[in-house]
Amino acid sequence: MSKITVVKNILDANDRIAEENRKIFDKEKIYVLNLMSSPGAGKTSIVERTITALQGKYKIGVIEGDIQGSADAERIAKLGVPVVQINTGGACHIDGNMIREALPGLDLTQTDLLIAENVGNLVCPAEFKIGENVKVMVLSTPEGSDKPAKYPLMFQQSEAMIINKIDLLPYVDFDMAKAKKDALTLNRNLKIFEVSCKTSAGLKDWFDWLSGRIESFRSK
Amino acid sequence: MHELSIIRSILDIIEEYAEEYRFSKVKSMKISFGRLSCIDPQVLEFTFDIQSTGTKAEGAALEFDIKPIIIHCFSCEKDVELEQYAAECPQCKGSEVLLAGGTEEIQLLEIDVD
Repeated sequence: MSKITVVKNILDANDRIAEENRKIFDKEKIYVLNLMSSPGAGKTSIVERTITALQGKYKIGVIEGDIQGSADAERIAKLGVPVVQINTGGACHIDGNMIREALPGLDLTQTDLLIAENVGNLVCPAEFKIGENVKVMVLSTPEGSDKPAKYPLMFQQSEAMIINKIDLLPYVDFDMAKAKKDALTLNRNLKIFEVSCKTSAGLKDWFDWLSGRIESFRSK
Repeated sequence: MHELSIIRSILDIIEEYAEEYRFSKVKSMKISFGRLSCIDPQVLEFTFDIQSTGTKAEGAALEFDIKPIIIHCFSCEKDVELEQYAAECPQCKGSEVLLAGGTEEIQLLEIDVD
C-alpha cells in the first residue's frame, strides 16, 4: 500500500482541448465569445441582436448548445449566418470537446466572430473552458437580484455581465444596485451592461464593447 | 450534472497513474475544491459509485478537502471566513468586501493504492 501525490486539476483534460481549440481560433483570427446564463434569460435574443448589429462589420458564426432540439439554431439561421447546433444529450454545459467536434460544421476561414451560446444553466458552464476569448453572462431582471450571491462562480468567471430585460424593472422586484454590487464583490473588474432586447435600450454599449474587444484581438 | 464529467476525468487520471505506478486498486483518494465551486460532495460520491464500477477505483473512499469561503474586508483590512457567502463583513457589517477564497478549482491531490 502506498500513497501517490497527484495534485492535478481534474478538468485538465478539458482545459487542454480548449487550448487546442484556441490555437485553431488564433490561427484563423477568430474571436470567440462564450455566452452563458440560466434558461430564459435572453441569450438567443442577445445573439440575434448582436448578429444584426455587427454582421455588416464581421463574418459571424454561431454554435448553439442545447440539451436537445434545434429551435435556437433555426432562429439564428433566419439571420443568414452559419450555425451549428450541439445537442449535449443531457449534459448541462458545453465543453472543449463538443466545440472541437462542432468546428467542421463551420467555415473557419470565413469567420471573424464565433458566438457559442452555452446551455442555459448558471452553474456548470462556468467551469468548462471551450477555447473562448471572453466569457460573458446574461442575468435577466425577473430572475432576481439574489443570483450573484447564489451562483458566485459564474459571476466570478465572467468578464462581462449583461443585465437583460430592464424594460421589466417596473414589474419585478429586482434591486439593480444590489445585483451590481454583489457581482462586483465577486469580480471587481466585471463590466456590466444594462439592456433590453425588447426596447433596444443599452444594447449599443454592448455592441461597442464587443467590437472594441474584437478589434484589439485582430490588431495583435 | 457536471459531477459526471468530473468523475470521468478522475477515472481517466487514475488509469494514467495506474500504468505509470503499476497499482491494481485505489483504496482512497483526496479531492479538494472551493466551497463555492458548485460541487456537491454527495452527488460526487453517488456518481463515483456508479461510474467506478469495474474500474481500479471501485469501492475507493473519497476524502474531501473543501476550501472555505473567505472575503477580504477593506474596512477591517483582513480576511474573514464565512459559513455562507454574503457581500458583507460579518464583523464590521461593512460592504466594502471582495471574495478572496472559495472558488478554487477541483483537484485530485492524492491517491492511496494497493
